[in-house]
Amino acid sequence: MLFLFIGILSSCEDVIDVDLNTADPRLVIDASINLLEDGTSDATIRLTTTAPFFNNEVPYVGNASVSISDEDGTIYPFTYTSSGFYTSELTPRDNVQYTITIIYQGETYTATEQLHRVNPLEFVEQKDDGGFTGDEVELKAFFTDPIGEGDFYFFEGFSEKGDHLDIYDDKFFDGNSIFGLYLAEDLTANDEVIFNLYGVDQQFYNFMYVLLQQTSGGGPFETQPATVRGNVINETNPDNFPLGYFRVSEKSTLTYTVQ
Amino acid sequence: MKKHISLLIILIGLSLYSQEKFTLSGTVSETETGETLIGVNVIIPELQSGTMTNEYGFYSITLPAGEYDIYYTSLGYASIKTNIQLNNNITENLSLSTNTEELEEVLIKADIEKLNIRKPQMSINSLSTNTIKKIPVVLGEADVIKAITLLPGVTNAGEGASGFNVRGGAADQNLILLDEATLYSSSHLFGFFSVFNPDAIKDLTLYKGGIPARYGGRASSVLDIYQKDGNKKQFRASGGIGLISSRLLLEGPIVKDKASFLVGGRSSYAHLFLPLFDIDSKALFYDLNTKLSYKIDSDNTLFLSGYFGRDVFDISDSFSNTFGNSTLNLRWNHLFSDKLFSNFSLIYSDYYYGLALNFVDFKFDSGIRNYNFKYDLRHYLSNNVELRYGLNSIYYKFNPGDVQPTSEDSGINSFKLTDKYAFENAVFVDAEIEVTDKIAIQAGVRVSTFNRLGQEGLNLYENDNPIIFNESLNIYEKATPVDTLTTSKNKTIRSFANLEPRFAVSYLLNESSSIKASYNRMTQYIHLISNTTSPTPFDIYAPSGKYINPQLADQVAIGYFKAFENYSLEIEAYYKKVKNRIDYVDDADLIANNAVEQIILNGESRSYGFETLLKKTEGKLQGWIAYTLSKSEQRTPGRSNVESGINNGQWYNSGWDKTHDISITGQYELSKKWSLGANLIYQTGRPTTYPNGQYVYNGETIPVYEDRNSSRLPAYHRLDLSATWIPKPDSKKRWKGEWVFSLYNAYGRKNAASISFSENTDTGVNEATRLSIFGMIPAITYNFKF
Repeated sequence: MLFLFIGILSSCEDVIDVDLNTADPRLVIDASINLLEDGTSDATIRLTTTAPFFNNEVPYVGNASVSISDEDGTIYPFTYTSSGFYTSELTPRDNVQYTITIIYQGETYTATEQLHRVNPLEFVEQKDDGGFTGDEVELKAFFTDPIGEGDFYFFEGFSEKGDHLDIYDDKFFDGNSIFGLYLAEDLTANDEVIFNLYGVDQQFYNFMYVLLQQTSGGGPFETQPATVRGNVINETNPDNFPLGYFRVSEKSTLTYTVQ
Repeated sequence: MKKHISLLIILIGLSLYSQEKFTLSGTVSETETGETLIGVNVIIPELQSGTMTNEYGFYSITLPAGEYDIYYTSLGYASIKTNIQLNNNITENLSLSTNTEELEEVLIKADIEKLNIRKPQMSINSLSTNTIKKIPVVLGEADVIKAITLLPGVTNAGEGASGFNVRGGAADQNLILLDEATLYSSSHLFGFFSVFNPDAIKDLTLYKGGIPARYGGRASSVLDIYQKDGNKKQFRASGGIGLISSRLLLEGPIVKDKASFLVGGRSSYAHLFLPLFDIDSKALFYDLNTKLSYKIDSDNTLFLSGYFGRDVFDISDSFSNTFGNSTLNLRWNHLFSDKLFSNFSLIYSDYYYGLALNFVDFKFDSGIRNYNFKYDLRHYLSNNVELRYGLNSIYYKFNPGDVQPTSEDSGINSFKLTDKYAFENAVFVDAEIEVTDKIAIQAGVRVSTFNRLGQEGLNLYENDNPIIFNESLNIYEKATPVDTLTTSKNKTIRSFANLEPRFAVSYLLNESSSIKASYNRMTQYIHLISNTTSPTPFDIYAPSGKYINPQLADQVAIGYFKAFENYSLEIEAYYKKVKNRIDYVDDADLIANNAVEQIILNGESRSYGFETLLKKTEGKLQGWIAYTLSKSEQRTPGRSNVESGINNGQWYNSGWDKTHDISITGQYELSKKWSLGANLIYQTGRPTTYPNGQYVYNGETIPVYEDRNSSRLPAYHRLDLSATWIPKPDSKKRWKGEWVFSLYNAYGRKNAASISFSENTDTGVNEATRLSIFGMIPAITYNFKF
């Protein structure tokens, strides 16, 4: 909103060269175990490391040992496919603690999580004169929040025209029918949009909340950026902590074609 | 019989010998308007003594009986010399004229400066509205806050930042008073304009240190602004029309020389042009200053002042945001005697913030309300001792937020953050004493108390710890309350009491130079919780209480002051430490947070610096050069050895720390028709946090950040130019007009307001993007008076 006013003045944004330092690489763990609506699951873990800021790509890790064990002692090993991806056959069950163990460069990384359920996405409402400026196609993907506070959501909307990620805390809408909002410039008829809704906990909500602020760039009203840690710890050397998160969620998917 | 006569003769002799003292007092006003004048020097050269008129134009001085020449002088006015026979108490009310063509060869400016040199008050800057109006600023609008940032020791956290920082202090540490009422925000439109209408202001004083005991409640500074009373002689209007905003002020007598009114308004209207650009949105501000004065008799005057200001941001129908201050106060000046002046004020002050999000169907309201009672007495005991004492009581109600759905099928539930109540009181006494010819001191003490009153649902935690440290994840987490406590608003849940000594001394080295030193302790009981670098309207004020302690600031300063012909030089050094300066933990979740104690840690801040100010106040060329070398930092350690604190408990730069800050401002009167102005500013770039890596998570590229505020933006510098043209300077007509042409940022430097780091979604490449807010901006304003 401020930038509309600035638009009248002669403000500008331009890309500049900045000399940045580079820190030593750190392991990044993108571990999402998703229970799908049809009962099957998608258990994929991607391991990469941090890279200098202006590099085009991040290096992937192909030589780590990755496995998940449950509280009964069953071990699910993950096999490396390519580009840092490791997969396994693992269908998460309710009320079971899952512990991920990654051994990389002689150090052991662990985290423990359990499955978080989610109510399904029900339908999509399309409004053609929506958005901030009143002339964009606005999509709302509705779901119903169960009564009782303490439900948290991670929402994704993907299409060729743009991706949108968001997180919700039911303290404002507990027990109500509520929606995930998706807006993209130039969204037109026949565009296909895929919506995903994941059940998560408060800790993941806090983690993603900060992460999403950092992906949006910044600006004069930014909050103090700080590198946010996830739930995985380095047991061998706590100071060499990893980035990323280990999450076990139920996932609801809805595909919608723009009218 | 003989015994009695001799006793009588002795007694008479004694009484003739011990010279009787009498008091000379009165009010000084401006001839043309009847406005009382603040800070007029009343000098008796043969006694090397004098005084100044107070905020209401009143002065009083007690001298031994005799005949004296008295000089009344003030910058911008023709001086007056009177001769009095002081054989009993005399009331001398007089007026000074702005018609400086009738200069008497009395005292020149240097003598006025010399009086300031003797006073123990240091770290103070007074600005007249004439000076403020001459300083070129963005969009041609005279701006009080932009003018004070040109002074040494005063800066802000960047263009587009609201608030200002004094001697390394945070923006919430400034007490901003308008006719004695507290204002909670000093700017409109995110810092582009200040809330003060320069046409309505009579006097402005900024105390950066050596703060007298009559002020309290904020740790770093006091910006004390008085509005004009309103022309008591005739009806006048003044105003200006500019590209972005306009203003109009009407003033005049209701009963000539007895009662007057003043009403002034300002509004921006750029939003009316937005539809031309196909933007269905609004960004505007407006404010209204009002005042009524009524002089009941020679001993009593009543004033009723009001201020109302709002900022409005609307984005089509979906988003609407309104916020601003309002104040209303009633004051009564009463003269108990010609030595005892009193002012009694009843003040209501309100800060409102509201937001409506129509596409999610809810609205959010929050604000602070306070009721304030002040009683100040000024006792002019003798010609070397002046005493001030009084009391100040404030009752606060904080509404941190009220969420309401705006339609029946809104998915949002209504939700109220608990109201908080508090009661702040202070009593003070302050004495200004001329100890010898060379030494003057100002010594005072303020005793302040703060009672946090009961509320609904105060969270209680195990071991009184609202925030816990998770050692394995190395992060701070919110503690879950174990219980809540509801107490009546009439009971105190926690109280604080603090002694605030204030001391200043000046030592006259010779006729035109002195050295001064001061120490002050300030207590601040309410805190602006802001996790951005500069305040935004989303920030909340939190009162001290069970989990938050008051800020305690200690400042020492020393300085050297010299007055030459046409120039003055001030050099000061200061050191300031503040205890209980809170800061957010990393990953703080702010929005509608009912338990702010779960996301903050206690810390401390310190700042120190060296300021130089060289001013020229006479002649065709006037202005000043200010240079400040300083450092301002914060440290927020963990509560024990295992905790990390913020930034691992190391000192980090505050968001407004600028090592070098140079401001040069000048105005040159070329002729009767034309005058020119320029500002040249150079500052070290402000601190920021840069990344030192990147990673990918869930398909998103995320920067990895270094220590908080460990890098700096590029240096900030710019040149502003202005030219004022008075088409008919000798016109005798009532309508007077002038054109002001200004060019802000004359060489178009792209000063970085921020640099952000993200992935370019089109190319997939990571970039650093600089946002600069003001490029080269020309403006034209037409100012008028009639």
